[in-house]
Amino acid sequence: MAVTVAQFLEAGRDPLALELAAGKRHLRKTIHEEALNRPGLALAGFFQYFAHRRIQVFGLAESAYLKSLSGTERQTRIRQFFEKQIPCVVVTRGRHVFPEIEQLAEKFRVPVLKSALITSRFINEATIIMENLTAPEMRMQGTMVDIMGIGVALEGSPGIGKSETALTLIERGHSLVADDITVLRRDSSGRVIGSAVPITRYHMEIRGLGIIHVPSLFGVASVRPEMRLDVIVRLHRPDPRIEDDRTGFAQQSREVLGVKIPVITLPVAAGRDLAHVVEVAALNLRLKQLGHDAAKELDEKLMATLARRGG
Amino acid sequence: MTKKHNAQAADPRVVVKDLTITNRFGIHARPAALFVRTASRFTCDIEVEKDGSTVSAKSIMGLLTLEGSQGTILRIRAKGDDAREAVAALQELVEKKFYED
Repeated sequence: MAVTVAQFLEAGRDPLALELAAGKRHLRKTIHEEALNRPGLALAGFFQYFAHRRIQVFGLAESAYLKSLSGTERQTRIRQFFEKQIPCVVVTRGRHVFPEIEQLAEKFRVPVLKSALITSRFINEATIIMENLTAPEMRMQGTMVDIMGIGVALEGSPGIGKSETALTLIERGHSLVADDITVLRRDSSGRVIGSAVPITRYHMEIRGLGIIHVPSLFGVASVRPEMRLDVIVRLHRPDPRIEDDRTGFAQQSREVLGVKIPVITLPVAAGRDLAHVVEVAALNLRLKQLGHDAAKELDEKLMATLARRGG
Repeated sequence: MTKKHNAQAADPRVVVKDLTITNRFGIHARPAALFVRTASRFTCDIEVEKDGSTVSAKSIMGLLTLEGSQGTILRIRAKGDDAREAVAALQELVEKKFYED
């Protein structure tokens, strides 16, 4: 993982009310740890456990402490602090940045940012942003929809009908997450989250229609920015070499960013209401997760009956 | 990288080619549509790669997400019986600047 200060600034500009205070030329500096640090003890001269690889947050306490020092003392402490090669400094509560910090930041090539948030909120929100920026990520060729709270990625070769299926699902009240290309990332709790590439977000390409903007046509409820990935549905043309699951016992799965995701393979036949089948597949998966496995339960009932008769 | 190229060169059904986007506005909607239409004439699988992102050459949305501006180099990788013809057709399209400018 290596996030540049520029990336952090960009991601935090709105949610953290973040802006650049000094060191514009050093924004390419990298942050190597996602946690944040309040450098109170370091400023007091105790460097033994100083987490210098983290973003350094100056809150009210740090500012008040620096203020309490004499001019030369303050200069020395801030210099010692910068000598530890920190990635960047953030001053919270929109407080003014000490001129010594600005000067030394420039000298040691460290960008200084300023946030209008209070420190505790800043740390909470910035931690989430850093986690997202450092999360393992990949792109998959597939369309993702949210079917009643179940995140479903549709994949299959071009022209098989992924987008058309998603369109029908949207018309039935489900929501689009991403069309054709889904960005997947693993969050800190180990879930895989899908979202769209920002530039094409909420757009779809439907053959014969061209590019459409989904929320304009179907309303804001027809899209959502991101969704946990629960299942991958593979669409394929009927092929005697591919054995379709006829009972629902065999649970295929695939590792995505190190997380096991169930895979359902569906043959696409002319006239088949694919959207409906995908909808039922999602519901059936939810049922299984709740502990009801229809295929297994039927089979157990059957076996019990057969055992009685056979005896 | 070279090794990989050699391995692919050994399979006549795989063709890899780097193409530089030269038209002024890059891969916006119209060029993407032309690219997809051209790619879809062929049966081979065609992928387009830029900066580690790989998308299908037969997907408009995919191509748009690459944000291929002027000067971008796209790596085309075609696999199938008509891979050579497909790459040639795409190369012509890109070199002719999508008939823009």
